[in-house]
Amino acid sequence: MNSHESIRAMLPLAAAGAMPPQELAIVEEHARTCPACQRDLQTLRLYSDGLQELPQPVLPAGLLRRTKARLIQEQEKKAAQRWRALTLSLLVLFSWASGLTSWLLVRAITGGVLSIFGVNLVAVGIWSLVSAVLAWATAGVAAVVMGKRDELVRKFL
Amino acid sequence: MILAATLHPESTISADDPLVRLRQGDLDALTDILPQFQFSLYRFLLRMVQEPALAEDLFQQTWLRVIEKISTYKPSRPFQSWLFSIARNLAIDHLRRKKSFSIDAPDEFGEAFVDNMAIAGPNPLEEVLEFERGIILSEALGKLPAIHREVLALRFEEGMSLEQIAEVVDIPLSTVKSRLSRALDSLRKHVEIRLSKGDVS
Repeated sequence: MNSHESIRAMLPLAAAGAMPPQELAIVEEHARTCPACQRDLQTLRLYSDGLQELPQPVLPAGLLRRTKARLIQEQEKKAAQRWRALTLSLLVLFSWASGLTSWLLVRAITGGVLSIFGVNLVAVGIWSLVSAVLAWATAGVAAVVMGKRDELVRKFL
Repeated sequence: MILAATLHPESTISADDPLVRLRQGDLDALTDILPQFQFSLYRFLLRMVQEPALAEDLFQQTWLRVIEKISTYKPSRPFQSWLFSIARNLAIDHLRRKKSFSIDAPDEFGEAFVDNMAIAGPNPLEEVLEFERGIILSEALGKLPAIHREVLALRFEEGMSLEQIAEVVDIPLSTVKSRLSRALDSLRKHVEIRLSKGDVS
């Protein structure tokens, strides 16, 4: 690429005012002696100036009010989600704790053996399995109930 | 103040700065921040997606994202660049989801237009009346690929430096330069083609 071609490639940036002063001086120096580059630089500057004076959009009426309302609504939704997650966690924890307490009580009462169909229900493995299933089922039911309640609240608000 | 420092770099940071308050979880701080950026942010999004209702939705999503991510915002970075990069990413994500739309497909004039520049002849944009010029440029801008529209809007409407544009768009400075050059050339070609057809309303 010769000097003329390389300077032509620099014309858009020069017109956009996005060129360091030293490079701009080189471009302008060349444009003074090159009619084609001078004309293109002027043309591109016309475009650059025009882009700074485009018809401006009208800001929608109530944009700020609607934005703030949405922000508040989303924050409330997130707070409700956090509350739900906390409630479910506590529910699972409570379920585990009550399962453990019941297990200790039943073991103490039965002396560690409570067989039904040959299965010892107070054995650690069986009791843990049943407790886990009950805990997660409780949390699942609670999640569905809370979801339905939120749905109803949203419907009526 | 961080916000003030973004707008006036000579200012100092204070605990009352809306951005400091927002970082501490005070949503009321948005009352001070939103009005300062509402017009430029909405205008930028409208240039990107070209639909007022969608621009408003993305405007709101941008502020939701600001609240979510404010803890990751580094005060050393200009807030405007950070805000616009969030808005830009949301707009680009939306445009990408539109299957029929390519954000970076070069238009028929997008590449190597410098080589095709006319050697002689009058500049048709000079011939039109000034009020028509804005309309013609605005329409031509809307026909460019999104990656060209964004650099032109950020440079000429938001007055951002090339470094700021690189930060917003998350591309190297050299790419900003080449993209800006191509965008300006492509815009010119669109206008010249339109005016050569005598299609001026």
